[in-house]
Amino acid sequence: MEDDVLTTLKLLIIGESGVGKSSLLLRFTEDTFDPEQSATIGVDFKVKTLAIDGNKAKLAIWDTAGQERFRTLTPSYYRGAQGVILVYDVTKRETFTKLENWLNELETYTTRNDIVKMLVGNKIDRDDHEVDRNEGLKFARKHSMLFIEASAKTKDGVQCAFEELVEKILQTPGLWESENQGQRVRLGDQEPGGGRACGGYCSIP
Amino acid sequence: MAADSDPESEVFEITDFTTASEWERFVSKVEEVLNDWKLIGNSAGSLTPEKGEFTSGTWGEKSQDIQFADFKFHIIHYFLKQEREQDKGKDQLEEDAFPLAMQDLLCMNNDFPPRAHCLVRWYGIREFVVLSPGANCEAIISESKCNLLLSSISISLANSGSQVPIFVQIQQKWRRVYAGECQGPGVRTDFEMVHLRKVPSQYNHLSGLLDIFKSKIGCTLSPLPPINIAIRFTYILQDWQQYAWPQQPPDFDTLLGGEVGGVEFGKLPFGACEEPISELHLATTWSHLTEGIVVDNDVYSDLDPLQAPHWSVRVRSAENPQCLLGDLLTEFFKLCCRKESTEEILGRGLAEEEAKENSDISSALSKLTEPTAAVPISKLSVSNIVHSARKHIRRRRRIDESPLNTDILNSILLYLFPDAAVEKSSENSKNRTTHFQTSSPSVQNLFLQLKSAPSDSLTYRLALCACLVNYNHGGLRAVAHLWQEFVLELRYRWENNYFVYGGEDSDVRCLKRSHVAVQMLNCCIERKRARDEARKVLEGSRERERQVSGGRPPPESATPMATVSGAAREVSSGKSWDSWSDSEEEFFECLSDQGEIEAEKDGSKSKAEGRLHPYNNMTLLNSTEPLYVPVTQEPAPMTEDLLEEQSEVLAKLGTSAEGTHLRARMQSACLLSDMESFKSANPGCALEDFVRWYSPRDYVEEEDEVIDETGSRVVKGELSARMKIPGNMWVEAWETARVTPARRQRRLFDDTKEAEKVLHYLAVQKPADLTRNLLPCILHAAILKLKEEGESRFQLMAMETAITRARSLKAKFASCEGGRGEDAEELEKFVSSLQEEPEVVVIGAGQGPAGSIIHRLFVNAQRTALLAPLDEDLGRDRKPAGGSSKVPDFPSPAGREILLRTCVPRPAPYSKVLPQRLFCVLMREEFRLAGAFSLDTAFF
Repeated sequence: MEDDVLTTLKLLIIGESGVGKSSLLLRFTEDTFDPEQSATIGVDFKVKTLAIDGNKAKLAIWDTAGQERFRTLTPSYYRGAQGVILVYDVTKRETFTKLENWLNELETYTTRNDIVKMLVGNKIDRDDHEVDRNEGLKFARKHSMLFIEASAKTKDGVQCAFEELVEKILQTPGLWESENQGQRVRLGDQEPGGGRACGGYCSIP
Repeated sequence: MAADSDPESEVFEITDFTTASEWERFVSKVEEVLNDWKLIGNSAGSLTPEKGEFTSGTWGEKSQDIQFADFKFHIIHYFLKQEREQDKGKDQLEEDAFPLAMQDLLCMNNDFPPRAHCLVRWYGIREFVVLSPGANCEAIISESKCNLLLSSISISLANSGSQVPIFVQIQQKWRRVYAGECQGPGVRTDFEMVHLRKVPSQYNHLSGLLDIFKSKIGCTLSPLPPINIAIRFTYILQDWQQYAWPQQPPDFDTLLGGEVGGVEFGKLPFGACEEPISELHLATTWSHLTEGIVVDNDVYSDLDPLQAPHWSVRVRSAENPQCLLGDLLTEFFKLCCRKESTEEILGRGLAEEEAKENSDISSALSKLTEPTAAVPISKLSVSNIVHSARKHIRRRRRIDESPLNTDILNSILLYLFPDAAVEKSSENSKNRTTHFQTSSPSVQNLFLQLKSAPSDSLTYRLALCACLVNYNHGGLRAVAHLWQEFVLELRYRWENNYFVYGGEDSDVRCLKRSHVAVQMLNCCIERKRARDEARKVLEGSRERERQVSGGRPPPESATPMATVSGAAREVSSGKSWDSWSDSEEEFFECLSDQGEIEAEKDGSKSKAEGRLHPYNNMTLLNSTEPLYVPVTQEPAPMTEDLLEEQSEVLAKLGTSAEGTHLRARMQSACLLSDMESFKSANPGCALEDFVRWYSPRDYVEEEDEVIDETGSRVVKGELSARMKIPGNMWVEAWETARVTPARRQRRLFDDTKEAEKVLHYLAVQKPADLTRNLLPCILHAAILKLKEEGESRFQLMAMETAITRARSLKAKFASCEGGRGEDAEELEKFVSSLQEEPEVVVIGAGQGPAGSIIHRLFVNAQRTALLAPLDEDLGRDRKPAGGSSKVPDFPSPAGREILLRTCVPRPAPYSKVLPQRLFCVLMREEFRLAGAFSLDTAFF
């Protein structure tokens, strides 16, 4: 079962508090919806294996708390992510206007610049929309993101959002392969031997 | 077919070699090899090699082992790879054409090739086979063995019809003596050689050699066909005199002298310790001479090198010159393999521990007796303290047993901790940064990718020092000593709240472990300092309060808190990680201030503590008090290692609901801490108030606003659904949260513990570990150094050598003062080709710009050499024609090569006219005649 997994991808879910990040994740991973989903503290973590075009990808998804006070803590987890889902609440304009901040933060803390970004407008099941779909589209276009409107409650667009994101990551050359082969240099004592430090650039006879 | 006739015919086919002698077998083996290599048949067909093709073209080589009885031989085929073979068909018509080798004997396009097999140089041939004794076999010395081999070859050649010359190496290998043979249709060339230690005096000049040649060809024709002569004299220059290479060899003794500041430790040495160019060979060549044009006999010579029409130069570089940077790195690298711990090396196992404990205790005691609070930090001279600390260390150690002497140690420590010398360290650091930012931004970006530390960081500087100390001041022991001092200094700084200069920048890319450790330590120091300062201010204000109001603190106790935040200004306020992994049992390090506890007793309900500032003009829901943002604990600094560890733990909790719950609980410590701070800052507050500050969207305000009687807006609303879930973690945390200001909470980030961890980690590092950790830094430094000195590639050692060589050459040939621009350009080209090509033609020979410089070099060397009289019994002194003084411009040539060629009928006057050649090498300790004499095997 584990053997045929093509790669493990690290995904992030970020956005203002209360936009439904945890609900989206729960819908995707367990296909349930809990109206009494409590506010996330710090970061949460879920795993799901997804098959895209016959390729299985194991997704490690980090769900983050949206409260500003938690923001000194959560960005540490941005490292090494290949994909990110930015969520806003279509019924709360403020959650949309703050997206710029989130993008800035993402830029500051992610370790790669080719990370695939997806914008998700959540809670479309509700009637009191404050953010029009076109605004979302425009924003996504401006920042070269994928875009979808969804509802964790009614399932609309959730599966599709994750699948689309993963497919895009798999199509981006160099984004996931190197991670898979574990070529990134790690510090620590896992691998003994001082020769490693040289990186093969220099010769010291 | 008849069944019984077949076997019989087969029987007749059998050739029986069972009785063949070893010699016969050897001959057939040689033939077999010639066959395998397709060296049979007419070799003529290739074009005459072009000028210089022997050097510019590529040479091929094929080899095989064959045996003569149990004696192993190595047979090698050398050949110049020539592409043009289109004329082959035409040439093959000329059945009786001379073999290629014979034509080559006379070819003048490749005399004195700069780089070729010695047989190529001596005989001018482009293809040949060499038979030499195998690796562990003795040389062929006896004449009979030699003759046996030669006849084997002769038979093989005749049998196979091969026209390729075959040589046998005889005598000891180093003598490079060969004998050989080449056969063609009706012709044969014998290759013979004479090799002596001394030049017989009668042959020490052209005329003598001509005599040998003539007698050897034994031509009776009169007049004799003209003999073509080519001569090359080689002069060697070893004494560079005042044209010494430009680099001042770094004088490390000056470092030992007291005057030199620690800055010297910031530089890596570079360049060779010795002259990287060991010799310059000047070859003066006269080609196409004929007998009678030049006179060279035992009393007179026309061969003045200055007048030679053709000059060429080659330089011989010193083999692996000792280069400082490379040596330094190699030595440092060796340290990685050492297993000893610091204490083992310094040999102070228990005693050291004891002393350390004592010092800890004594410093703790002294801290108690004279509280630092009494002296304003700013007035303290850091250097005083640092120095006293070092004195303290030194007291425990007799100077003579320290691997590093005090002066060196002091200058190193001053370099590492510059703030100890100059109080205005900020100014110092400014200078330093500018110094380090000299390279272009793009290059800097490139170097940023190195997993090293920034080039002005403490770790980087430590790496440099460790390397230099290892190299110059006592190796392993010295490094161990330095490291010990370094850790002591860090501990001292931690205990006394001095920042570590060069560890402060918190660039996430700097991931070196030791660097991270120093950063962490600085963080701890910062926290501790902030805490201590807060306490001091608090105490001070309390003192004042007591004086003013007789014990009852005024309500605006926010003043000291503002200072807290001021002291901790560097890190933005925010949530922090709890180090939940193992600190559950650990308690908040109480500042044990009686006054504060009293204050809490009487003011826990009414008195607000730890307010930062009012929040958006909001008021508490249950009162008119403004809602205050509390002073909160700072987020814990995270190293990459730590982060990885933590995320691994979090991920391991799994994806179940319990996992999620546990994760939340683990991370709730900071939430709890903030709640406690909030409660303390806002007495009488409710969870709703907290949520309004902490997670505003979780407080749902009612649509219709209510204005109270005073005209201000009254907020009515409720918590969001998720906050109202009974028993959710927020509610739970709120209920358990006590009213405690941040500074009296258990520390989320235990700076004491972390600092101790760091110091311990550093203290137990073995020199080898240290070296491994510093290696990237030192390589980084080395690359920067190379960048600074020249171009940057990654073969560090080779690069260093090459740069030094180039520099040395440049200096030697840049010495033409007031030269024209054209000349300078030409010289530059000349110098650069000297490094790339084996031999470079000097344009204009002795009269050109490069030629005159070389001439001058020789003249100078000659003058100095002859000032000190040397008894030279080198045969006759070769005086250049026109040399006015007694001192000749050039020394006697180190080597003379004379090449004589002609075509005469041999052995009888009616034989075919065949090429004859004699190559003579005359050196101080070698005399060699390599002759190739052809004879007609049909008409003699």
